[in-house]
Amino acid sequence: MNDVVLADRAAAEEESRIALTPGRPEKISVRDLDFHYGDFQALKSVNLPLYEKTVTAFIGPSGCGKSTLLRVMNRIYELYPNQRATGEVILDGQNILDPSVDVNLLRSKIGMVFQRPTPFPMTIFENIAFGIRLYEQISVAELRDRVEQSLQRAGLWNEVKDKLNASGLSLSIGQQQRLCIARGIAVKPEVILLDEPASALDPISTAKIEELILQLKHDYTIVIVTHNMQQATRVSEFTNFMYLGRVIEFDRTEKIFGNPRQKRTQNYISGQFG
Amino acid sequence: MLDVTESRLSADFERERLTRNIGRTDILFKHLTQSAAILALLLLGGVIVALIEGSLPALRTFGFAFFVTEKWSPVNDHYGALAPIYGTLVTSIVALLIAVPVGLGIAIFLTELSPLVLKRPIGIAIELLAGIPSIIYGLWGFFILSPVLQRTLQPALISVTEPIPILNQLFAGPPFGIGILTAGLILAIMILPFIVSITRDVFETVPPMLRESAYGIGCTTWEVVLNVVLPYTRSGVVGGVMLALGRALGETMAVTFVVGNAHRISASILQPGTTISASIANEFTEALTPLYTSSLIALGLILFIITFIVLAAARFMLAHLQRASGA
Amino acid sequence: MDLYRRRRLKSRIYMTLSVCAAIIGLIWLAMILAALFWNGLGGLSASVFTQNTPPPPGDNGGLANAIAGSVIMTSVAMLIGTPIGILAGTYLAEYGRYTRLATVTRFVNDILLSAPSIVVGLFIYEIVVARVGHFSGYAGALALAVLVMPIVIRTTETMMLLVPDSLREAAAGLGCPRWIGIGAVIYKAARAGILTGILLAVARIAGETAPLLFTALNNQFWSTNLNGPMASLPATIFQFAESPYLGWQKLAWAGALLITLTVLLLNIIARALTSQKVGR
Repeated sequence: MNDVVLADRAAAEEESRIALTPGRPEKISVRDLDFHYGDFQALKSVNLPLYEKTVTAFIGPSGCGKSTLLRVMNRIYELYPNQRATGEVILDGQNILDPSVDVNLLRSKIGMVFQRPTPFPMTIFENIAFGIRLYEQISVAELRDRVEQSLQRAGLWNEVKDKLNASGLSLSIGQQQRLCIARGIAVKPEVILLDEPASALDPISTAKIEELILQLKHDYTIVIVTHNMQQATRVSEFTNFMYLGRVIEFDRTEKIFGNPRQKRTQNYISGQFG
Repeated sequence: MLDVTESRLSADFERERLTRNIGRTDILFKHLTQSAAILALLLLGGVIVALIEGSLPALRTFGFAFFVTEKWSPVNDHYGALAPIYGTLVTSIVALLIAVPVGLGIAIFLTELSPLVLKRPIGIAIELLAGIPSIIYGLWGFFILSPVLQRTLQPALISVTEPIPILNQLFAGPPFGIGILTAGLILAIMILPFIVSITRDVFETVPPMLRESAYGIGCTTWEVVLNVVLPYTRSGVVGGVMLALGRALGETMAVTFVVGNAHRISASILQPGTTISASIANEFTEALTPLYTSSLIALGLILFIITFIVLAAARFMLAHLQRASGA
Repeated sequence: MDLYRRRRLKSRIYMTLSVCAAIIGLIWLAMILAALFWNGLGGLSASVFTQNTPPPPGDNGGLANAIAGSVIMTSVAMLIGTPIGILAGTYLAEYGRYTRLATVTRFVNDILLSAPSIVVGLFIYEIVVARVGHFSGYAGALALAVLVMPIVIRTTETMMLLVPDSLREAAAGLGCPRWIGIGAVIYKAARAGILTGILLAVARIAGETAPLLFTALNNQFWSTNLNGPMASLPATIFQFAESPYLGWQKLAWAGALLITLTVLLLNIIARALTSQKVGR
């Protein structure tokens, strides 16, 4: 078992060192990343490129570390004790794991949307304005424009324009999730992290979210963790398959799903485990 | 569609300035809340220190004898804490003896027997009882319960137990109406809602599946309670009872009216006595000498230590047994 | 068959006992409330609110100064105890959630929560009254504040912990500094619960007698001066009830009724608040 894992790992590392799209810059480079929950090591020597203005999907069975990896990128794990990351995550030439990096500033550049919608207990307008006000001092008129812009981009404007003062919690779950996305893009991030954003939603809302992702990728670098492999094929250009805390294979999506190099990837894709 | 890199850079600088300022406030707020938490610690420490400081004169004068002397004489300026300690313990035990079975009974009723319509109103009624200030109980006990007891229960107890050897000393007359038993009764009524609400909450944590499987093999309601519910919730019930005990030990106003305020220990619980809190409440403002005051504060210290031990033990037991039962 | 019948009988007996217990409990409550209303209403009149406490035998007078004193001291106690309580509760739920300081503070808070209130009175007597040299409304308010603090700490922490971590992560994910997240998001979400805790704290201290007995003492006359002895309803009731004067006793019952009604009202409002939150 161990030998197979080691062989897989060596092969995977070899592959990921090959430049996959010469010319496309790496927005985020993960280098030799380890992650521990207390004594348990959840990520082992992760090396990964995330290309600018593309959609990268993280797939793998439960517990493989894909959500953990996602949550390293905006250092949200720091809210909890006994969770630590070692290694490097380079964003625009800077290692964001360095303690000297202002974590709030970092999170203004890297936005996150969670599995279950998390609207704040405020009006719809306030939900969006809240984030904007954290970073910019703009006039009320400008604020209104920005809120409208964000809601437009998230495809929610037409549905809420008449009830901006209603509570964010009064929306349907699909709408709430799009509200969270609007909230995230309102602060003008560069990267958007999506942690299974559609898993709590019905198929129609899910389709809307996927449409949104395809539009947003023109302006943002997007990483999406998903359990739904068809979703990965629909929205992503690159896919990262993980298992037991390691990157098993990273490649263009069509390659991963059409003709993967690793046996384990093939087994996962065809549903033989996970 | 979006900003060009240049304006993004200047926006970055602006952001950096704002976030730096806000970050400082964050540290300030964190320290503010931390100080508030430390204040709670200081408060407890302060209480202990103040009590010890106030008791020292009495403790130094009387030494260990203070704890075992019954005589309490303001005239001679000589004090002994035995009667109040005895009264505190006995009234609380009487209260527990009455309130625990009744409280458990009500909790069992609410969780196993009560039709749904009744559950909420009765639950609310119990909580209302809990909210009534203790002085109301004291008033009621003094004006209503004591005379009734004096006329009915106490003479009955005295005559019934007269021929029985030990019991007739426990229930010896004359029937004053007030006394240790009455105080215990009032205390029982006071801590009853407490026991009911804690035990009921604890009973409701029993997984329905566990109950259902017991009923499923044909257990009667009582058997389910005895063999499933009570063992499962044992730690919670014990903890709840100990918390109620802590409450009873420190109760002042309910007892002061009806305990009789006599610094003596009698074998009979129908006789007047006193508790620590009743002594302090009744005598503190009349205490003319520093030694008198100090003795009363020493009583307070003893009470605090007793309740501290009971409460700490309750908490410890709750935590320990919760872990053991795998909850 | 015989065994089964015995088991069934046993169960029936115990269950009947349990029903009796419930009935006894309800009867007690009814008796107490009935006595309270019966005796209290008789003494209740407009003069209770307009006239001050009378000298013995107490036939003409009211409880105005006692009511005023209680209101003043309760308000001051809440003003002191509530902010400290909320801040400490915030520390326990947020910044310090996993720290040792928090564990110790929670334990200490539990002790303070159930500490005999008369001991609190002694404490304030020692550090305030004995040092200053005289009884005062300030001392009384401080004693009440010491009772308020643990209640507010406990309910604030509990209510804030009920807010799911995902909301915290969402705020942090936007780059929101902790204190803004707490203020704008967490407090708002926990608002109803914290308010309930405050109301319950008021209900608790509204009827507290023991801590006032030797801090604020009592006052026969009208006084809003916190720097001297101050009248309060519970202390007045205590004094009047233990006396042999019928007029005083009547006023004591009236005062008891007033306190009980206030406490019941506060509990009802608190309950309405929590159910409203849940209903949404």
